This record gives sequence, structure tokens and C-alpha cells, in this order.
Amino acid sequence: MLRAQELSKRYVLASGTVQALKPFSYDFSPAKVTAILGPSGSGKSTLLNLLAGLDSPSSGSILLDGNDLSQLNESARAELRLKYFGFVFQSFNLINILNAWQNVAFPMGLTGLKQEKRKARAFELLSHFGLGERLYHFPHKLSGGERQRVALARALANNPEVIFADEPTGNLDSKSGAMVLDALFELAAEGRTVIIVTHNLELAKRADEVIFLKDGELTNAPVELGQPAIP
Amino acid sequence: MIWQLASNSLWRRPIRTSLTALGIAVAVGSMVIFLSLGEGLRKAFASQIGSIGPDLQVSFGDFDASTSFTTLPEIPLHYLDDLQAQSSRFGITRVTPLLSHFRAGLSPGNSFVFQGLPASEDLANLFIDFQVDAGRSLRADDEGKGVAVIGAQVAKRSQLELGKQLRLSGDYSFEIVGIVSSSEGIVDNSIVVPLTSLQAALGIKDKLSFITLDLEEPARAAEIATQLKEVFPNLGFQTRSDVLGVLEQGVRITDVVRLGISTIALIVGAIAVANTMMMSVFERTREFGIVRAIGARPRFLFALVLSEALLLSFVGALAGVILGRLGMIAVNNIATNLIGLEVAALTPRLVLFAISVAFVMGLMSGLIPAFRAARITIATAMARE
Repeated sequence: MLRAQELSKRYVLASGTVQALKPFSYDFSPAKVTAILGPSGSGKSTLLNLLAGLDSPSSGSILLDGNDLSQLNESARAELRLKYFGFVFQSFNLINILNAWQNVAFPMGLTGLKQEKRKARAFELLSHFGLGERLYHFPHKLSGGERQRVALARALANNPEVIFADEPTGNLDSKSGAMVLDALFELAAEGRTVIIVTHNLELAKRADEVIFLKDGELTNAPVELGQPAIP
Repeated sequence: MIWQLASNSLWRRPIRTSLTALGIAVAVGSMVIFLSLGEGLRKAFASQIGSIGPDLQVSFGDFDASTSFTTLPEIPLHYLDDLQAQSSRFGITRVTPLLSHFRAGLSPGNSFVFQGLPASEDLANLFIDFQVDAGRSLRADDEGKGVAVIGAQVAKRSQLELGKQLRLSGDYSFEIVGIVSSSEGIVDNSIVVPLTSLQAALGIKDKLSFITLDLEEPARAAEIATQLKEVFPNLGFQTRSDVLGVLEQGVRITDVVRLGISTIALIVGAIAVANTMMMSVFERTREFGIVRAIGARPRFLFALVLSEALLLSFVGALAGVILGRLGMIAVNNIATNLIGLEVAALTPRLVLFAISVAFVMGLMSGLIPAFRAARITIATAMARE
């Protein structure tokens, strides 16, 4: 269980202090897809970065199975991300100098897994996402949908508990986007916690839970979502 | 995994990587050429002096690298008789006076080393594998005459032949009566003339450059040198190893100069590596953010950037050694034509030194970029386009 407790983030700039995220508390349930919605600049990405340990909160805590991420140093947070978190980004964020299977195998390499094993698992994951014929292709030789599926396979490389997806369909055509979303919902059905930052209302409608942010604050969701904004 | 990633990263920008490696190669190559000169000189001195030098060399005063390579004659002539008088006491079998004069020209082809030796002395007794290639050697009745035998290298280098006149000064010239050679380079690169003729030409009647002594028991050379020093406190007595030691000292002095010049080239190479790595880190900030996001520790990025710098330096060093080797061959070709000696040598210790220097250079120049890569902020890095 991933839990945010009074999580906040403020930036001190020359022009003054900006409160990017006001105190925020939420329990992210396993086996569910939670969508984080909100207009640009509402604090969605800031929240995702804090939850994933990519940034440090100004106050509050993030608990994963009772352990407070905000108290960990950089190396410990990196290890936690490596073993427990998977990431899918809008712009895919594959490593351009590695081919498809090497990209997927990369997080496994960081855990010290031997090459034969990580290669076998990378092949298995890519084949699962329909990329068995694209194993040796470099990112620039893949379509957007294929790149996002490679990113999905990479996110699953170390069998994480939590998947963070930041606008995962933002750069995809509708068919590829649907394919990626189906995969994310499948992962939730397997028991993982899936947290998606999105502008996509259709996606939000499919989500099990919706968080709506405005001006860095949890607020009421648009009525068309048909879901309570604040659980 | 890290080396594969480092290698892939470097080849992402093949032109920049190749140019940087070339810069290192030129720096290491020039260092190899400069330092190989010292190695070559050591080898040449060891083979020349070690095999054919006299058992003892006599100088006026102490013999050291700073003062003893001049050819100014300093030994008063009477010491020749004094040493001969002590021959039986110290087991000296031959006392040979030597007057050296270096006539500098504007080019190597016009520069000559004159060696004044007693004309009665059989040069075959002084130089191993001595042979007359053309004409004849010196004879006892040549003493006082303007005749010379010249080394084969001198003849080749300066295009001299039998019968030609060698002008030493306005009044004195020497006719070439023989072209000689030996298995070593001293004779090959000298012009040997009768001692009294050279004394007359130089206007130096009562001084010698060196006196050489052959001993009945060469193995006791060091002991005899000490005893002779007690009898002749104004003279210096050097064994072959003493001479080699002084020459080594001289080479070391030039080592420092050559190393200093090489260091400048290496610093330029190191700056090139550091610049390349800094640019690479800057360009890949977003990628490093991704790598950190998916679980790499800061030290992974530190090691990655450092590995790239080391790999770049290592490849540059290998190319530099090859480049240095080619340069050294060229230097030796020129030196062989000019003085009949190979003055540069690429020894295993020099290769090891060059690669070690490149390794340290890579390490030093990669440190700052590596620290920078390790300290990136993930969220900021990933926000960069």
C-alpha cells in the first residue's frame, strides 16, 4: 500500500514562494487504477514525482508498506524505485543508445541480474507486448506505440508493486493509446497499484479512483466523470 | 553492462569521439616520441661504452653531466708521462692521449668531431671490429701531417671521399686518406687525425681532453681508479660504468625537459577529454534523469561517465603508442642517416608509462563531469527538453 500523508511541495523562487502542492493525503489501493487529473500547472506531475521518490517533499511523508520514502537518502530511494516502482512516461523516455531488449533489460542489470537471465526476461516481456519481432530495434526505428510498449515492458522488468504513468497515451494515436491503457488496467488486475497522471477524461472514467487537482489542491472532480473527487 | 553503455555512449557521437581520441593520440604519441629518445640514447650508450670503451677514462677533475660533455682540453700534457711512469705499479697496459674538438656547422652535414690520437696507435686496438673500408688507417709517420681517416657515417653524411680536403681552420686542413668503420658508432661518426697535427691546428700544445687507460685486470678497474685518485688528486678516473652513469645523468636531465614538453601536450589532451565529457553530460542530462528515475544510484552515473573518460583515454593512448612508434621509426631513419645511430627506442616500460599517464589523464579529466552527472536532480533533468 502506497500512502501519502500531508504531502506538500513548495518552491522558493526569486519572485517568492510557490506552493506547487498543498498538504495532500491519500491511500493508493493495490489492484486499482488511480487517475490524477487536473489542468496544466495544477500540481499533477509534482504529486507523481513526490509519490515516486523522484523529488523530495517540503513536508509530509510517503509510506510504502509502512516505510517512509521521504526519510531515505538518494541511494536508498534509487533502490526502492528500482525494485518496487515502474515508470511509463508520455515521451517514452527510452535510452536511445540501447535497443528494445537492452532497454527492458537495463533495470534488471542495475539489480545485478546476469545477462542471460535479463535477456530472457526482456524477450519474454517484449513478446508479451507483441514486440517479438522488434527485439533488436533501436528506439528511433520504432513507432510511438511500439516505444510505449517497450517502456511498459521496461516498467515491469523488476516486477514492481506500483506503476506510475505520466500521460502514457499523450503522444499516441487512439489505437496505440487504447492498447497501452488496456495493458495498464491488466497490470492493476494482476494486483499492482497503477497511478496515472492524465488529461484524458475517457481514461479517468475507466479508472477505479480519480484524484482531481486544482492549484495544487485536491478538489471536486468535473461532474462528467461521475465520480466523487474526494474519496 | 557499464562498459557496454559507456562504449555505446561514446559512439553516439562518432566524429566528436574520434577527434577527441585523436587529440589524446597526438598528445600520447608526442610523449612517446620524446621519451623514446631517452630510451634510445640509454641503449646506444650502453652498447657503445659498455662494449668498447677503455677500462679507465681519465679526466681533469671530476666527471659529471653538467661539465664533462664539453670538448675543451683541460688535462696538462705532463700527466701523460706521469701516468706512464705509474704503469707497472697499477697494471696499466696502455696509456692513450685523446684530444677532441667539435667543429660545429650550420647543418649536421657540416658538423664534425675531430679525434686526435697518436698516429702510431693501431686503431684496431682501440675500437672493436675496426676495419678500413677504403684507403688506409693512420701510420706512425703521419704524426704532424695533415691527414685524416674518417668514419663511414661521416663520409656518407657529408659526402666525403678519399683525397678530399677537410678544412679545420684557415691554415689547417686534412686530406682524407682512409674511410673506416667499426661495429659501434664512435669511430663511424668521427674524424681521426694525428694528435700532434690536431694540437697544432688548434694551437693547443700542452693540454689533452682525455687520457684512456687499458688495464691488465679490467675487473679491478674500480679499485685501481681509487688508488690512482690518491696519487693524482687533480685527475678524475672513471670506469665504464662511471661513464655510463654520467651519461645516464645527462639523459635524465634531458628526460625532465622532454617530459615537461610532453606534459603540455598531455594537459591539452586532458582538457579535450574533460570538454568532451562535460558536453556529453550536458547533452545527456535528460537521459541521466531517466536512468536515475528507473533506479540507478548516483554512483552508477559517476562510474558511467568516468568509464567513458577512461575508455576514451585508453583508446587514444593505444592509438598514441602506434602513432609514437611510427614517429619513432621516422626519427630513427633520420638519425641513422645523420649519425649512424638509432636514437629512439620504444621499450615496454615506455608503453606502460604512456598508457598509465593516459589512464591518470582520463581519470582526472573525467572526475568533474562524473561528479556533475551524479549530482543531477531527477525531476529537473527529466523536465529538460
